[in-house]
Amino acid sequence: MSKLLIIDDEEGIRKVLTLSLASDGYDVSAAAGGEEGIEIFKKESPSIILTDIKMPGMDGVETLKKIKGLNPDAEVIMITGHGDMDLAIEALKLDASDFLNKPIKDEALSVALKRATQRIAIKQKLKAYTDDLERMVSIATEEVKRRAEFQNKLITSSNDAVIATDEKGDIIIYNKGSERIFGYPRSEIIRKMNIDRLYPQEIVSEFRSGLEMRGHVDLSTWREVEILTKNGEAVPTRFSGSILYAEDEVVGCVGFFQDLREIKRLQKELITSERLAATGQTVAGLAHYIKNILNGLKGGTYVLNVALDKSNTDKIKSGWAMIERNVGRISDLVLDLLAYSKERKPEKENCFPNEIIKEVCALMESRTRGNNVEIKIDLDPLLGAVFIDPKAIHRSLLNLVSNAIDACIFDSASKKSWQVTITSAIEKNHIIKFEVADNGMGMDEETKEKIFSSLFSTKGERGTGLGLLVTEKTIKENGGMIHVASKKGNGTTFNIYLPYQETEKKEAGNTQ
Amino acid sequence: MAKKVLNVEDDADTRTFVSTVLEENGYLPIMAMDGEEGMKKVKKERPDLIILDILMPRESGIKMYHELKLDPNLKDIPVAMLSGVSKRTFLRSQAALTEFGDETVPEPQAYLEKPVEPEDLAETVKKILG
Repeated sequence: MSKLLIIDDEEGIRKVLTLSLASDGYDVSAAAGGEEGIEIFKKESPSIILTDIKMPGMDGVETLKKIKGLNPDAEVIMITGHGDMDLAIEALKLDASDFLNKPIKDEALSVALKRATQRIAIKQKLKAYTDDLERMVSIATEEVKRRAEFQNKLITSSNDAVIATDEKGDIIIYNKGSERIFGYPRSEIIRKMNIDRLYPQEIVSEFRSGLEMRGHVDLSTWREVEILTKNGEAVPTRFSGSILYAEDEVVGCVGFFQDLREIKRLQKELITSERLAATGQTVAGLAHYIKNILNGLKGGTYVLNVALDKSNTDKIKSGWAMIERNVGRISDLVLDLLAYSKERKPEKENCFPNEIIKEVCALMESRTRGNNVEIKIDLDPLLGAVFIDPKAIHRSLLNLVSNAIDACIFDSASKKSWQVTITSAIEKNHIIKFEVADNGMGMDEETKEKIFSSLFSTKGERGTGLGLLVTEKTIKENGGMIHVASKKGNGTTFNIYLPYQETEKKEAGNTQ
Repeated sequence: MAKKVLNVEDDADTRTFVSTVLEENGYLPIMAMDGEEGMKKVKKERPDLIILDILMPRESGIKMYHELKLDPNLKDIPVAMLSGVSKRTFLRSQAALTEFGDETVPEPQAYLEKPVEPEDLAETVKKILG
């Protein structure tokens, strides 16, 4: 029930109003003057006060002032008589809620009270809203603070360098990781250095065009960037960055740097150790082979010197032949090494593969003669001119045929009729098949597995182990395949499959 | 008359080298390209010394040495090995042949590992033939 205070010096009015309002359900108190009214107000804290404006002693305006001083939310309704206009205006300035003219009419009174009650209700609601709002703001503030702290911790504890700037490019965030990578302490960076001095030029210009909104900048993809530390050391890092926007405005930029020193060191170590191992293996094998060539050259020199002393022309010739043979071996070795170590692009041209096979046989004739080995060829007459790399075919077949002859010569079986057969055939889907088969010593499984995998030779000091490696590499470079089948004591068969293209002017048929 | 020295060797360069050294030192060189040919020449020419390679096509030096030493008519011809294979490996291979049931054979008079200097070869030959 609303409490109501009536202050009036006229007793009649006080009584009438008290009765009428009490019957309307208000808890009514009454005072005969300002001082008494204030006392009651302090004691009862009524929410609505009706006060006469003209009273002896403390008048209505003074009373209003006091009450508002005690409680600014109190609803004070002034009761005014004829000619109280100036006082009424003053009361308005002092935040009086309403006016009632004497004589007071019931209707006006109830309207004024109703408005006062509504205002009180609104004020209460407003207060509740405000309180609620304040509580929510404080919760939100707390949450924001917590998140900021969490993010701050994330940044601080990161092993990587996290560096952020304001929109001018001055550095405002610089974590421990940054100190570790860049070498500058925080104190020399924050608000003292900008990205132009700290970052390498290549990313500075990108950040700058981002900060100054000159076109689109994408720094998000991780890339390798070398930064300079305080001591001038170049440190490899993995870098990614971003321009920071609030709404559409640039507010700064952030850069992330991961230290790659350790990874680089390990990578280098790994490469070095792998290379050392491979080199060691290769060098040991090659050194032996080269030593043999060197001995051949020395022997040749000796023979040549003896022959020159005696002017023995035959001996000069044979000494010279020794030197020439060994020079030839060196140049073959160097060519093999180059072929093995370098990427060679196929040099395709129009050529006749069957002719190449005949060339290879002619070259090998001297080796088969006197060794009881026969070379047979079986050429596909449909294989005419094709567009293919003739050098690749020549080199590969020469190597395989030479190996096949060795397999026959070194076969320990007695009295066998040794044969090396070279076959060419056109297969489906633009593939040429070359086959080199021998009935020589053959290989066991263990040997067969090793032939393409390393510098492995079954020929002792006679071989480098490079031949099949180079052959396989050449065939693969030409998009082809090489297969081997072998049985110890029975012989070995190599198959090469090479893709070919038709020549532009087709010259079909036999090429013999 | 000059003493005969048979060189059994598949590598043409080494053959030229060895024959030149032998000639230079007053010996008569005879050449064979592998063990098979070597055995024929031994029987036909009766050399005073055999200089024998090991890794050869067909009949290898290992087998030929064994054959020589087990033939009562030939076992007294001195043999000098000249090979890229080390002496240890050669002796082990001889021991292996013995395990397969052959008789034990004596070690060769001399063992030279390739490469050999002309002087060393000449000295070895001289030491054996006097």
